[in-house]
Amino acid sequence: MDQTVDIKAINERIKEESSFVDLLTIEMNKVIVGQKHLVEGLLIGLLSDGHILLEGVPGLAKTLAINTLATIVDAKFSRIQFTPDLLPADLLGTMIYSQKKEEFVVKQGPIFTNFVLADEINRAPAKVQSALLEAMQERQVTIGDTTYKLEEPFLVMATQNPIEQEGTYPLPEAQVDRFMLKIVLDYPKKDEEQMIIRHNLAKTFPKASSILKPDDIIRARGVVKDVYMDEKIEKYIVDITFATRFPEQYGMEKFKDMISYGASPRASISLSMAAKAYAFIKRRGYVIPEDVRAVCHDVLRHRIGLSYEAEANNITSEQIISEILNQVEVP
Amino acid sequence: MTQIHLRYHWAKKYLLSFGFLLLTLSMTAQNVSVSAKLDSTVTYIGGQMDLKIQMSQPNDIQLAFPTFKDTITKSVEIVRVNPIDTLSTENNRFLLEQRYRITSFDSGLHYIPPIVFEEAGKLLDKTLQTDHMSLMVVNPFEEVDPQKGITDIKQPIDTPFLLSEIQKYFPFVILFIFLVVGTTLAIMKYRGRDIPVNIFKKEEPKIPPHVIALNKLDEIKGEKLWQRSLTKQYYSKLTDALRHYIEERFEVSAMEQTSDEILASFKTIDFSDDKSFENLKQILRTADLVKFAKHEPFPDENDMSMINAYFFINQTKIEEIKSLEEEKQNMLDKEAESADNDLRNNNNE
Repeated sequence: MDQTVDIKAINERIKEESSFVDLLTIEMNKVIVGQKHLVEGLLIGLLSDGHILLEGVPGLAKTLAINTLATIVDAKFSRIQFTPDLLPADLLGTMIYSQKKEEFVVKQGPIFTNFVLADEINRAPAKVQSALLEAMQERQVTIGDTTYKLEEPFLVMATQNPIEQEGTYPLPEAQVDRFMLKIVLDYPKKDEEQMIIRHNLAKTFPKASSILKPDDIIRARGVVKDVYMDEKIEKYIVDITFATRFPEQYGMEKFKDMISYGASPRASISLSMAAKAYAFIKRRGYVIPEDVRAVCHDVLRHRIGLSYEAEANNITSEQIISEILNQVEVP
Repeated sequence: MTQIHLRYHWAKKYLLSFGFLLLTLSMTAQNVSVSAKLDSTVTYIGGQMDLKIQMSQPNDIQLAFPTFKDTITKSVEIVRVNPIDTLSTENNRFLLEQRYRITSFDSGLHYIPPIVFEEAGKLLDKTLQTDHMSLMVVNPFEEVDPQKGITDIKQPIDTPFLLSEIQKYFPFVILFIFLVVGTTLAIMKYRGRDIPVNIFKKEEPKIPPHVIALNKLDEIKGEKLWQRSLTKQYYSKLTDALRHYIEERFEVSAMEQTSDEILASFKTIDFSDDKSFENLKQILRTADLVKFAKHEPFPDENDMSMINAYFFINQTKIEEIKSLEEEKQNMLDKEAESADNDLRNNNNE
C-alpha cells in the first residue's frame, strides 16, 4: 500500500475533474425522465471502463439513454439488433473483394465505435456473443491478418428482456462475468411517466447538448484510478466476494446449498473499480464502505450462480447479496 | 241276543261320550292364553320400542311362538329379535315372553293386526291370537320446504370438551415428555454440545452494555494509541467499542452498517438531548476520514472523540436499579476500604 498518497491533492483534483458529472447528469435528465439508477450506472461504467448488461422490459429508454450519452460525450454510437441469424462478421466486419483495387479490403463492422448498444444480446447465437465479448475484453478486433484497436472510450451496453425467454441463447456464466455491471430497470413512477408523455407529445423532443469530448472521459478514468482505497475497504470487498463463495464462514449456513458458484476475482476487481467510480461521482477522493455497498448489487447480481434448491425456494441473488451485506462486518 | 247287543251298544256309546267329555274337560283345563303389548302407543319417527308377546300355558305341553322375519307390518320394522324367555313357572304353568325391538320410519297411525299363534292353535284346535294394537308415529321435525334450500334436519349436538376425558392419559404424556427431554439432553451431552438448560447452574449476571463499553474506552485510553501515531488503530477500536454498545443497547446491527446507516437508524430514536447524536456523528465522521482517507486529526480532535464517546455512552445508557442488599454491600465495601486507607495513613505517619 502506497503510504505516501496525498489524499488532499487527490480530493482537489477530483473536485476539478468531476465537475462535468453534474453537467452530464443535467443533460441526461433533459432527455431521460427518471431512471436515475440507469444514468448513474452508465456513468460508473463509463468512468471505470466497464461494460453494462441491462435487464428490463421493452420501452424503458435503454436505447435513448445510451444514444443521449453518446451525444453528450460527442462520441460515435452504434445500435446492433441481435437476431438468431446474426453472424460475427455482421458485428466485427469482414474482408470484401474490391473490383476497383482488385484485392480484398476490410469492411469494418458496427463495433468500431465508442458506444455500442447490443440490443437483446441473448437472441443471437453463442458465436456472435463470443465475438462481441472478445472485443469487449481485448478492446481489439482481428479481421483477416490485421488486428484493429477499438476506439476509446469503448462502452458496450447489452440489453436482455427478462420475460421472453423462448428462442433465446442465455449468456454463459463466463461471458456474463465480463460485464462489469448488471442493471435491472424498473418501470418509471407515476409522475415520471406523466412527464414522459409530455416530452413525447411536445412539438420538439428535448435534445441533449454535447458538453464533453471522448478525451475528457479518458482523462477522468485516470483520475478515477487514483481515488484512494484503503486496505480496510479492500478487505471489506474481499470479505463480500468470499461470502458469496463460502457463505457458511460468514454465518450464512442457509445459503451453502443455495449457491452453486460464487463471484470470481473479476468481481472483486469490478467492485473496487465501480466503488472508486462511485466515490468520484460523489466528488470524493477516497472510497468509503457506502460506495462499496451502493454498487454491490449491480456488480454481483449476475455473478452468483443459484442452485436448483435456491430456485425451488424462490431465493434470488438479490436476496443473497442483501443478506451478505447485512452479515459482513463493515470496517 | 239282540237285547244283549243293544245294551253293549248303549254302554259303548255312553263310555265314548264320557271319554270325550273327560278329554274336553282336560283341554279346557290347559287354558292357553296369549297377549301382545307395546311399550308405548306413541313414538317419534325412527324411535325404538319393545313389542312383548306373552303366552301363558301349562308346563306339560310345548307350543310354538309365531315367527317374524323383518317386519311386523308393512310400516313397523323389526330391529332385533330376543329369544323366548320364561318369566314364571308357578302353578304348573309357564309364562313365556318374546320381545321384539321395533321401529317405524313412516309417520301416522299404524294398525297392528292381531298376532296369530297358528301352530299352537292347530295343536289345540282353536284360534289363538292377541288383540290388535295401534301405534302412533310422530314426526317431530318441520316439514321440508324445498324453497328454503338445504338445511340441517337437526343441529349438531354441542359436546363440551372435558379435561376428565383425557385425565387418564396424563401420566403417560408426562412420562413421554421426560423421556424425550432426557434422551435429547443425553444425545447433546454425548455429542459434546452445550446443554441449553442450566438447572443447577446459577446464571451469570449480565454485564450491562454501557459498562462493557466504558471499560473498553478506558482500555483504549490506556493504550495511548494516537500518541504513538497509531491513529487509525485508535479510531478503529473507538468505533468498534461504540458499535458494539449501539448493537447491545439499541438493538441496531451497527457492526454490519456503515456510518450513514447507523446515523439513519438513530433518526427514529428519541434522545434526551440532540448533543448525543451530534457527538456520535462527530466520532463516526472523523473515524471514517481517518480510516479511509488517511486523515490525521489534531490531538485535540482525538481527545474530543474520546470525550464524545464517553459522553454518548453516559447519556444514552440505561441505569440499572440496584437492590437494597447490593446498595448496603457497596456502602460497607466503601467504608471498609476508607478505614483501611486511614489505618495505612496512620501507620505511615
